Amino acid sequence: MKLEIKNITKKFKTKTAVNNFSMIVETGQCVGLIGPNGAGKSTLIKIISDIIYADKGEVLLDGKKISNMKREIGYLPQYPDFFHWMTAKETLFFMGQLSGISKAKLLDEVPAILTKVGLFNEQNEKVQSFSGGMKQRLGIAQTLLHKPSFIVMDEPVSALDPIGRREVLNLIQEIKQETTILLSTHILGDAEEICERFVIMKQGMKIEDTTINKLLTSHNESVVHLEIASLKGHWVQLIEKLPYVKNVEVIGKKAKVTLDNVQKNKDLLIRHAIENNIDIVKFEVGSSDTLEEIFLKMVVSV
Amino acid sequence: MTSFYILTKKEYVQMFREFKMIWLPLVFMFLGATQPVVTYYLPSILAALGGNQGITIDPAMLQQDGAQVMAATLGSQFDQLGIMVIVIAMMGIIQSDKANGMLDFILTRPVTVRSYIGGKLVSNFLLVAFSVTIGYFVSYVYANFLFSNMPFFDMMLAIIFYLLWVLFIISFTAMISTIFNGQGVIALISIVSLLVLKMISGLHPIIDLLNPAGMSQQAMLVLITSSVDSHLYGNMLITIIWITLMVMISHYWISGKKYHKD
Repeated sequence: MKLEIKNITKKFKTKTAVNNFSMIVETGQCVGLIGPNGAGKSTLIKIISDIIYADKGEVLLDGKKISNMKREIGYLPQYPDFFHWMTAKETLFFMGQLSGISKAKLLDEVPAILTKVGLFNEQNEKVQSFSGGMKQRLGIAQTLLHKPSFIVMDEPVSALDPIGRREVLNLIQEIKQETTILLSTHILGDAEEICERFVIMKQGMKIEDTTINKLLTSHNESVVHLEIASLKGHWVQLIEKLPYVKNVEVIGKKAKVTLDNVQKNKDLLIRHAIENNIDIVKFEVGSSDTLEEIFLKMVVSV
Repeated sequence: MTSFYILTKKEYVQMFREFKMIWLPLVFMFLGATQPVVTYYLPSILAALGGNQGITIDPAMLQQDGAQVMAATLGSQFDQLGIMVIVIAMMGIIQSDKANGMLDFILTRPVTVRSYIGGKLVSNFLLVAFSVTIGYFVSYVYANFLFSNMPFFDMMLAIIFYLLWVLFIISFTAMISTIFNGQGVIALISIVSLLVLKMISGLHPIIDLLNPAGMSQQAMLVLITSSVDSHLYGNMLITIIWITLMVMISHYWISGKKYHKD
């Protein structure tokens, strides 16, 4: 099941929500669509799940228009809201039958899927009484019910409390083994946990399409993190003038030193520190940024 | 099992759970009983409340027969309070699904817009038609009992004409409910438009021919005169065209995804 998104553009009155966006998702992949609020993630997801039309471009699933392939798609909206007067079980029967599953088959599958999402004991309760996390899990049950080959989720965990978030993340980890998933989020930690591939969006455009490892390596700067018992101002000024030091940032007792060639020059730096009687508490060589910092840099600066 | 069937069934379960299936017929039974009972007891009521000084009631006014009372039930009760009740019961028909995202959700499944609208209209029309007919029969029973009997055939013919007007009311309200987003706006536009249609009926034959409310006029005419108007078929045809147009606009609006608030 291969999803092709080709040159999607969608304009609202004055704002271009999605601007010439293209990407290809291969079978079995789990893609995280990341971007700040208002980057156009939800709009793109709605176009992919055929809820709104794009102004330009097309979305193809296995080479066929998405509107003809609805049986193959499972969609989870940002705030899944079902009919309040229906029970969990009735909701799944209703959505399942709309997906074209026979009643006999549903009688078998609904209890199994309710068990999977942990709602078996609440199956006869009305959706009205459900918490956000329960609704989200019911939503996931609904997306899985017709065994779609492709699942689209719009911010599946953003609105949940830590417990609900954990429940849903575990559930996604589980279903990820069986299907292709595209999910959007603005919380990086979540995407990092579930997905291998990231697509970063900003102002409707794709600014990065990469895997987590590549992202970390490519942004791996040659830096040394220093923590010093008592940071003497003059030593910082001293090392700033060293030929292999490119930049020094000082925050409290910590200093971030960017070097020319870390492997070679970190020894020189430490030697320099010892010679100047600097009391080093911590000396760390490595990547400068966490994923979050990289994300912030990209989204704010590009 | 088609999606039309599933959606229709869901509507009935919802009407049942929300007690619409109970209160709507009750309201129309009450409206149906009101006209004959009030007309019959009006002189006594006036005598009791207003005293008798200076008030004389023209005895000719009281000489109504059952058919006239039935016609008044349609014209003064169902076409006024009745329209408001129908609109208020139906204003959320599509709007509520738009508001909570269920319309989006349902349409991500392999469901055609045609079966969605069809399910909505058929189920709701059958409920309202049932309520109106029950109310009409209650009115018939009272009119028969308190006034005079009338030909059963005329009565049946009249309710069939009237139900066509009811179908128009529902498809019109559904269209407004598809296009607009606030319940208040939907109720206001629907009630005002439908009452205006009702008010201008009977002014001019040509307007009547084009006016779906003319069907209500035809129903009253059958009751009072026991004969049909020459414009009946034209009026019927044009009403059906109006209904088709309303349904097509709703279909166009939903399948073109114009209901999203951009």
